Amino acid sequence: MTLFFFGIALILAGGLSAALLHRRPAMADWGFGLLVASGCALGATPAIGVLAGRAVSGVSLAMPVPGGPWAFGIDGLSAFFLLVVFGVGLASAIYGLAYLAAERGHRAVATSHLLTAIELAALALVVTARAVVPFLIAWESMAVLAYFLVVFESEKADVRRAGLIYLVATHTGTLALFAMFAFWGRSAGLLSFEALAASAVSLPAQGALVLGLALVGFGIKAGLVPLHFWLPEAHGSAPSHVSALMSGVVIKMGIYGLLRVVNLLGALPPWWGWLVLVLGLLSGVLGVLWALAQHDLKRLLAYHSVENIGIILLGLGMGALGTSYHLPVVATLGFAGAILHTLNHALFKSVLFFGAGAVYRATGTRAIDRLGGLAGRMPLTWIAFLLGSVAIVGLPPLNGFVSEWVVYQALLRSGATRLPIHLAVLGVAGLALIGALALACFAKVGGIVFLGTARTADAEQGREVGAGMLGPMFALTLACGVIGLAPMLVVRPGLAAGALVAGLPADAAGSAGTEVLRAMTWIAILALALLLLLALGWTVWAIGSRRRPMARKETWACGYARAVPRAQYTASSFAAPLLASFGPITGVQQSRHGDVFHSHARELVLEGVALPLWSAIRGFAWRLRPIQQGRLWGYLVYLVAALLLLLLYLAASGEGTPP
Amino acid sequence: MTWTPLVALGTLLLVAPLLPGLAAKTKALLTGRRGAPVLQLYWDLRKLMGKGAVYSTTSTWLFRVAPVVVVVTALLAACIVPLDGHRALVSFTGDLVAFASLLGLGRFMLVLAGLDTGSSFEGLGASREVHFSSFVEPALFLCFAGLALASRDLSLTGMLGSPLATAWPTAAPSLVMIGVSLFLVLLAEASRVPVDDPATHLELTMIHEVIVLDHSGADFALILYGSALKFALFGALLVGVLVPRATVSAPTGIGLLGLGLVVVALLVGVVESIMARLRLSRVPQFLVAASVLASLGVILLLMA
Amino acid sequence: MERVADSLLLVVILSNFVVLGTTRLTTCIRAVAWQGALLGLLPLALSATWSVHTMGLAVGTIIVKAIALPRFLAWAIREAAVRREIEPRVGYVASLLLGVVAVSIAAAIAQRLPVPGDHPVLLLPASLASVIIGLQVLCTRAKALTQVVGYLVLENGIYLFGLTHVDRVPFLVEAGVLLDVFVGVFIMGIVVFHINREFDSLDSTRLTELRE
Repeated sequence: MTLFFFGIALILAGGLSAALLHRRPAMADWGFGLLVASGCALGATPAIGVLAGRAVSGVSLAMPVPGGPWAFGIDGLSAFFLLVVFGVGLASAIYGLAYLAAERGHRAVATSHLLTAIELAALALVVTARAVVPFLIAWESMAVLAYFLVVFESEKADVRRAGLIYLVATHTGTLALFAMFAFWGRSAGLLSFEALAASAVSLPAQGALVLGLALVGFGIKAGLVPLHFWLPEAHGSAPSHVSALMSGVVIKMGIYGLLRVVNLLGALPPWWGWLVLVLGLLSGVLGVLWALAQHDLKRLLAYHSVENIGIILLGLGMGALGTSYHLPVVATLGFAGAILHTLNHALFKSVLFFGAGAVYRATGTRAIDRLGGLAGRMPLTWIAFLLGSVAIVGLPPLNGFVSEWVVYQALLRSGATRLPIHLAVLGVAGLALIGALALACFAKVGGIVFLGTARTADAEQGREVGAGMLGPMFALTLACGVIGLAPMLVVRPGLAAGALVAGLPADAAGSAGTEVLRAMTWIAILALALLLLLALGWTVWAIGSRRRPMARKETWACGYARAVPRAQYTASSFAAPLLASFGPITGVQQSRHGDVFHSHARELVLEGVALPLWSAIRGFAWRLRPIQQGRLWGYLVYLVAALLLLLLYLAASGEGTPP
Repeated sequence: MTWTPLVALGTLLLVAPLLPGLAAKTKALLTGRRGAPVLQLYWDLRKLMGKGAVYSTTSTWLFRVAPVVVVVTALLAACIVPLDGHRALVSFTGDLVAFASLLGLGRFMLVLAGLDTGSSFEGLGASREVHFSSFVEPALFLCFAGLALASRDLSLTGMLGSPLATAWPTAAPSLVMIGVSLFLVLLAEASRVPVDDPATHLELTMIHEVIVLDHSGADFALILYGSALKFALFGALLVGVLVPRATVSAPTGIGLLGLGLVVVALLVGVVESIMARLRLSRVPQFLVAASVLASLGVILLLMA
Repeated sequence: MERVADSLLLVVILSNFVVLGTTRLTTCIRAVAWQGALLGLLPLALSATWSVHTMGLAVGTIIVKAIALPRFLAWAIREAAVRREIEPRVGYVASLLLGVVAVSIAAAIAQRLPVPGDHPVLLLPASLASVIIGLQVLCTRAKALTQVVGYLVLENGIYLFGLTHVDRVPFLVEAGVLLDVFVGVFIMGIVVFHINREFDSLDSTRLTELRE
């Protein structure tokens, strides 16, 4: 634990060095990079130790602090999330150095780096806090800092709008969390997680209120449908490394929160598991459909976060159902799937956001239909983006396949059990649909943005980005590859963490766990065989084709000579038939002005529910304005009145009297 | 270590190009034509292998790698299916996900290779391919879920092996529904009528053929072989479900597999001659019907 | 005999999906006719001995449900010149998926429902599924004639439920068949309304004048 706090201190020092040395950019960058890197390495060391099976003792602040003892600790669950925070956080911070270098001079780059460092520290504290007050402080710092990171380009109106929507949404979530912890803490007496866990049995209706509030509070942060409406706005508008951090790490804190609440509660009512499962299916399918409808590269990736949160929730829902129906195998596999997919999604989604950022830096546009032909101009970015796509679609030999496989296992194994949980086996159809639609979406992105020929002058001027951006991109791609080729490295601790969340011993999955690990060996062999066969096949092929004649001509396409770049298929036309067969839930609106067809994807929940609700609340608040008359004595009257009312309440309920 | 799975795999690789020819011949005979020879695809492959390739100036390395990926992924997927009726080369719990994902990787690369040419025709085919496959995938997984429930096993070897044979008498209705659903999946995956028409002459109505318009020479040979292999693979799955061969010896099993594949090809030919290709906007409905059938099979098994 | 009954019931469930998935009114009616025939065969498959009562029930059901009503519907299409396409308010794909949801709900409920006696596994689920899908057709299809089809499916579900009580409550099923008379009146009403709207008259002799 000491190592961990030392790491946090180093990260903060890195942030400070970036801010203090901002007049000497080179030194500031080196200082920031080195300090944050060593801080992340130090901080991650105990986490890796825990995953390898060593126990790390927690700490508790001895000083009398408000809100009971402030405790911190690292268990198997925290360790996974710490890896995500430090791994992806470090990559984002380093990438941010190169990404923001161009903006130095006209925007507050140094401040952004400082905020990134504090954000990392806050994230690390969220997953290690073992008491309500430090947890909420870290949570709120994380949320507010993320706001400042998002509104980096604050001169743009849509960025400010996105920031505002995010701020309102995240505070609504925090409010729900306050209510949850207040209610729970009341029955626990003390505000440490230990006390909360001990009092879980005494919660009314099996903790229905706590679980409901947790789903709202953490659900908004995670971005599950229909609470996702802030997410595409914020992730689309933020600088790319911040998008990666938000999408890879910050929204995962919602998942961490849900897992932690489940872990503390122990027993769960079945309705909650079903609800989470259905929400997961909804988020997955709708998220990927909405992603298909997008024209903006980063908004598209943001909707894929919604989709992947859906997959994670499918695992979480299965875990919860397994807990409710006392099926240790399903519970362990479900939670393990959720945790592993959280890790994997953080890795490949960051690669994709880094790639999108590189495209944006190189071409100055994020509109998919204005790009094209970048594979030749940005070959390395393309390779990283392609590998990231293969990973996110859940294809071997990369990491997305591994975690989706575990979620499939949980779903399929529920079928061999009893009513009603075995109905969950039908969920495989949903997961298969999500996977296939994701394939469609990334075929669209890769094919339109990187392949073909440049559609506009913007795309023509694209050049490969520097090592500062490619380095973090490839580091995370490498991590995706390692997990894909040696999945047992993460699946074994993943199963242990899954069992921990379910409140079971680490070997709760029993023979099923052994089978899963054996399958991991096979998956590793299969992935290796795939790579070897591809290499072998390609070599044989290349040698064979040397003796055959070869020619390069322009695209044949049935003899359509003089093909102009504009005549290529666009992303909109690629996705249109697929979206049409899903009807109005995709939110696509088409209009025609003369010869120009225009299609636009509406954010249904934001425009249909959140904004109308917002204006209704604003209308109501406007009517309360007369209370604000701006005279001091008036406010004093309010204060006194509130105090009196509180005292009267205490006197009436008799709670204020000492025992 | 027995050699039968390897022999079975070899048989499948050898027999695969026969199936499209058989289907075409059946269709020709039923519609009163003489048709191309049954072995036409073998000759085509040989001819194409000797030819040089023309590459578009637009295309990149991906265009040339994709055909290799298509064949390699199909080959690896074939290693997971118990072709001799007893065991597969590779078998582990949940290998069915690997089967589907490997084929998915091949599809992904093929679609990207199509888009690599920058032609609208290929774009159109790619769009349709991903569109329809997203309706096929749920049906395939529901079939797998049904088989897993019937056999209480999560590997293809178990799902198509002796547990399935013992499950047949009690679960016949579900298994028949799953078999029919799998046949519909096969029609879609192998690009046959009523989803796609391998014999069409108008690019605007094609799916698979139009993605590979710009492939030529040996590359095209690989693509053709890959799609024939996919046809054979789904045929082998179907034969595995409908004719569990765990009770017969492995060599007989391989023989039955060959026979079964021929029957499947004939059946595809019959379907092609009595059905018209569906309007493209109707295809999703047809594929959802496959999912519905499979999910009814699953529900039925859950109730038992 | 249980297995025969279960297979028949399975085809009944599948025919519901034909009703949901088809684009043509005639296919829809044909599916309901087949469903009626299967329902007629069911009492024979369910009872070990074929008494006069079960024979009568089977014959009566087949005559009413599989022959008379479908013919009547086909006649109505001809007379009222109804367009032969179904115009659904909810798309076909969505209808099919809703149908699957209906069957899963039916299966889940059927396992909880305490129905006395020994029945084929699928009898209750098929009955409940038909009722739900019938209601679904009634709600999601705009056309009057498709609504009649929906009503028929619903009523077939009730008939199936009646079969679970066939030995305890005499004439329950027979009374159910009587419901079909109501369907007949329903169809007459539609035809009359259509003809009335088109020609402002009910005089069928004037209708013949319009023939080419």
